[in-house]
Amino acid sequence: MPEYNLYAGCSVPANYPNYEASMLRVADSFDMELKYMEGVACCGSPNLRAIDYEGWLKVNARTLAIADKNGNDIVTPCNGCFGSLKDVYYHLRHNEDYVEMVNAELASEGLEFTGDAKPRHFVEALYTDIGIDRIKENITNPLDGVGIAIHYGCHLLRPKDVTEFRPEILKDLVAVTGAEVIEYPLWKQCCGATVLPVDEPLAIRLARDKLKSMKDAGAQFATVVCPACGNQLDLQQLDLKNTYGEEYNIPILHYPQILGLAMGLSEDEIGLYLNRVPAEPILEHVSK
Amino acid sequence: MAKTEEKTVPPVTLVDPIELSELDRDFREEIHSMPNGEELGACFACSTCTAACPIANSWDYKPHQLVRMILLGMRKEVLASDEIWLCLTCFECQERCPQNVRVTDILFDCKNLAAEEGRIPPNVAELGKELVEQGQLYVITADWEREDLGLEPSLPGLQTEEVRNMLKKSRTGRMLGEDD
Ligand code: SF4
Ligand code: SF4
Repeated sequence: MPEYNLYAGCSVPANYPNYEASMLRVADSFDMELKYMEGVACCGSPNLRAIDYEGWLKVNARTLAIADKNGNDIVTPCNGCFGSLKDVYYHLRHNEDYVEMVNAELASEGLEFTGDAKPRHFVEALYTDIGIDRIKENITNPLDGVGIAIHYGCHLLRPKDVTEFRPEILKDLVAVTGAEVIEYPLWKQCCGATVLPVDEPLAIRLARDKLKSMKDAGAQFATVVCPACGNQLDLQQLDLKNTYGEEYNIPILHYPQILGLAMGLSEDEIGLYLNRVPAEPILEHVSK
Repeated sequence: MAKTEEKTVPPVTLVDPIELSELDRDFREEIHSMPNGEELGACFACSTCTAACPIANSWDYKPHQLVRMILLGMRKEVLASDEIWLCLTCFECQERCPQNVRVTDILFDCKNLAAEEGRIPPNVAELGKELVEQGQLYVITADWEREDLGLEPSLPGLQTEEVRNMLKKSRTGRMLGEDD
């Protein structure tokens, strides 16, 4: 029974309890023990790194050091947290001076960054530690080949040497549910979430590009593994109606919601009613 | 055949001429020594980064120009530019650079320097303030939604005090006048 430190971040618990609940339920079926990390707060996201590199380094080194205590890897459902933790992990592994600096700070709490516990995205842990074969055995209600586009999110994919994430991982995880992965030209492009506080019209335009590219390629649904991307693609569809007069009607599902359905979880268990763009149409594609 | 007439007007240039006396020769070194700035000098101005950038078409200074401006020492222009804050941090430029220049990381460094000079877009400063004051960006307000889904109403294990203290002592706190 693999055990993990669950770093939920702040956006998932506050804004997407349906993501959190479906992740926990799916993990439970595979005996992945996700234990909420004790004593942690926010990763600061790229915004903190932008204004305060050192503060960002320390805050995230502290989270890593808390995990180092029991040696279990950290898993997170959020690309922002994943990006921050992975990036800081990378920076610390490549610079002894930073390790000294953060450890001097952490000593007062009896903490030390050792690098034993690795930060990982939930989907990567699911793929690597459980594996497609075992997941397949648990698919009881496969999706009927319905077209789903994957939005990976920048901080899951890049920088490649930092995140070490291969896009095939998520592709395989969606395909194993029985759904068809829809390829679309802008699959690698940013959803615009990070620029939202600085330039909202630009952020909306980027969400639009993304959704349009998905729709044109024939996607009926899209899946995300990040609350910020989810927010941007789901909620912004309402703004797009206002700003551009365009309706996309692409329900955005958190990946564990899709997997959960294919594993026989009910729509209430995965909190489908909380998705902004009504996601219930996906139920028509679940084979019984 | 008549010779082309001697030009009397200044030549048409694509960019404004640089005022050499205003260049800051140390800027290059400053960035170079910051996190992930090592490869800065390897840039050969191929503009692949700009080709990869999804929003460069709406920028006055394109990513490859920003790198060049750093190398030239145009500190003032770079740190005052909107572009460094509009950067999506999508790392497309960095991934494609054939010279391994860590373009996005370098733009992060520029933002830090701009922040040190007090130049932060208001909404980004607001986010910093939230981090110092509540230790997190998003706070749970709809706990009934969590309970309906069988989750704890508040986040198990959450402890914001240490993070807030760390940030108060750091630039975030100093900048926002929270380092009391
Ligand atoms: S891609 Fe790299 S080498 Fe080319 S201009 Fe950009 S930073 Fe310079
Ligand atoms: S990280 Fe910034 S500069 Fe680089 S491609 Fe993305 S938006 Fe453009």
